[in-house]
Amino acid sequence: MSRCRILAAACLAACLAPFAAGAESTIKIGFPMPLSGPAAVYGAPVTKGAEMAVQEINAHGGVLGHKLELLERDSKASADEAVRLARELIIKDNVDFLVGTLTSAEAPAVSTIAKENRIVFIAPTSKSVQLTSPKNLHPYLFRLASNTDIEGHSAASIIAGWKEVKRVAIIAPDYAYGRDAVAAFIGYLKKARPDIQIVDQQWPKLGQSDFTPFITAQMGTHPDAIFCDVYGGDFVTFAKQAGPLGYFKAVNNRLVDGGEVGTTDEAQALGADYPYGIWSDAYDPVIWAGDEPPEHKAFIEHLKAFTHEKYGSGWAIMGYSAIVALTDAIKKANSTDSDKVSKSLLGLTFDTPVGKRTFNAKTHETEMGEFWGQMVKGEHYPFAIISNPKYLAVGPFTD
Amino acid sequence: MDVSFLFGQFLGGLTTAMFLFLIASGLSLVFGVMRVLNFAHGSFYMIGAYLAWQAMQWLEPTLHRFWLAALVAALGVALLGAVIERVLLRHLYGREELYQLLFTYALVLILGDAAKAIWGTQQLSVSRPPLLAGGLDILGTTLPTYNLFIMLIGPAIAVAAWLLLTRSNAGRLVRAAALDREMLGALGANVGAIYTGMFVVSSFLAGLAGALVTPIQSIVPGMDVEIIVEAFIVVVIGGLGSFWGTFWGSVIYGQVLSFGILVFPSFSIFSVFALMAVILIVRPWGLFGRPIR
Repeated sequence: MSRCRILAAACLAACLAPFAAGAESTIKIGFPMPLSGPAAVYGAPVTKGAEMAVQEINAHGGVLGHKLELLERDSKASADEAVRLARELIIKDNVDFLVGTLTSAEAPAVSTIAKENRIVFIAPTSKSVQLTSPKNLHPYLFRLASNTDIEGHSAASIIAGWKEVKRVAIIAPDYAYGRDAVAAFIGYLKKARPDIQIVDQQWPKLGQSDFTPFITAQMGTHPDAIFCDVYGGDFVTFAKQAGPLGYFKAVNNRLVDGGEVGTTDEAQALGADYPYGIWSDAYDPVIWAGDEPPEHKAFIEHLKAFTHEKYGSGWAIMGYSAIVALTDAIKKANSTDSDKVSKSLLGLTFDTPVGKRTFNAKTHETEMGEFWGQMVKGEHYPFAIISNPKYLAVGPFTD
Repeated sequence: MDVSFLFGQFLGGLTTAMFLFLIASGLSLVFGVMRVLNFAHGSFYMIGAYLAWQAMQWLEPTLHRFWLAALVAALGVALLGAVIERVLLRHLYGREELYQLLFTYALVLILGDAAKAIWGTQQLSVSRPPLLAGGLDILGTTLPTYNLFIMLIGPAIAVAAWLLLTRSNAGRLVRAAALDREMLGALGANVGAIYTGMFVVSSFLAGLAGALVTPIQSIVPGMDVEIIVEAFIVVVIGGLGSFWGTFWGSVIYGQVLSFGILVFPSFSIFSVFALMAVILIVRPWGLFGRPIR
């Protein structure tokens, strides 16, 4: 009998728990992010970064006297699922803000929900320029990430600097991200180096399991340099198939990849199979061979302790910085009202572990660049690192 | 376009083809004999890849550890297949095909989540075995030795399976089971054991394919679904249930992809889907299949 009573009490307590938690009102941030499927490779570390920011901010007393609460949901990298989750987070969970989505498919879809409901939405990683094009932009949408224009221009500026290069080939995944970045790349290169000829373009699909025919076809056109936008697990596959075919050697490693394959995540996955000597980028080089900012060093130390990882991921910074930016905007607005916060985000400058960033009041983007450099064999690490990471945020070509 | 370039493109297509055949062969065998369209075949392949990676971590770094790891992976997946067939799948044989499809689809979700829970979401990778790390120069193009090995193992599996099916006593029983399951049972053969055996062989092939693919592909969540679509295309082109059809279906897929991207560089996957659409219209039972009456 007494056991029954304990059980009943436990049930009652369980039922009341949500109300008890609600009493101490928190600032709720809905966080749809791919946590399963192939995109989880990025979604998981971005989420870890956001969790770490929330923990840090709450440890310092939260914002305006309230604690932050991160409501994580698995968007499965699907636009439909992200939309459903965003609606549910707004209607059922009463979130104050939305931060999240990973891909260029999810972000524009969630953006329309944010607009309908007049809720601030910060996209930390989606790069496609279409997200913030004039017809899609609205007062509540903000992009932390770089965009495909900046990426394409930055990559083109590196190749344009190689005087001996005359024939450039391109390989990129066949969807919005790849197409947009390549268009920006070609636009810049044509103006900067009219003498360069684009000799080949290959468009494998996302998740291509065998790149061999694409690689051999491209090698047949004898390029001097390559712009590659294959990224993530696809790049691991690509590099392992291209290496033995002599693909990288044929262009003297003059390959520039704008898909963040300079991250420790990518380098660790490939290990000794990494095509050393190519050029790539990362939002956060993680292992900084050169003048490392002290804030970055502290950030990585904290990240390693927080995630119990040996090196840390180059993607955590995006989740982390998105939460920091939102928190600063709430402080500046002195309110959690989305109308006020969206105004305070315009032109807001905030700190990230790799320097200050500002939301452009007109475009609602930070227009941030990334750290680029040649990938070399790490002296103290069993994988590739970016040598002398250099911050590049190249705009349209102006003569 | 010179000859060496076209030859290189042909070899590239052949590599794609034989990789696909490794995975599609097991799918085709199970459908041919058991009439079960196993969606989870791609998941077995993925588990094989993860197991191979895991075995590589456990084994001492010796010259031949990759082969041992591949064997461990294939046997591990075969065991998994045996358990699934004995405990779960066999209850569904009498049911409508829709139930079997739903069941194998449920397996895809369960195994996908299980793999994520065990190995996480990080992309993993295995290096080429040292013996096959190099490349050969043939007619002015480079052929990586590992690709050559895959090109040889594809036909080897095809011939071995064909010999087993046509020349051995077990093969005779399997073919009989494919034709008339009930009659074979009435004649006193243990149909249940034949089915289990077939499923185990198919799982073994999937596990082996998953393990052998690790030196040239990344191991990521989602590789299961990616490959099963391509394997289905191959099986449809060749003819559902026809083993040689699957072999030639793979070869055709590889070459059409390889030369298709020379003709339509902007639509890489177009040529393969176009081929499949044409075959489904003109010859819905596939190139080597037989129309089902």
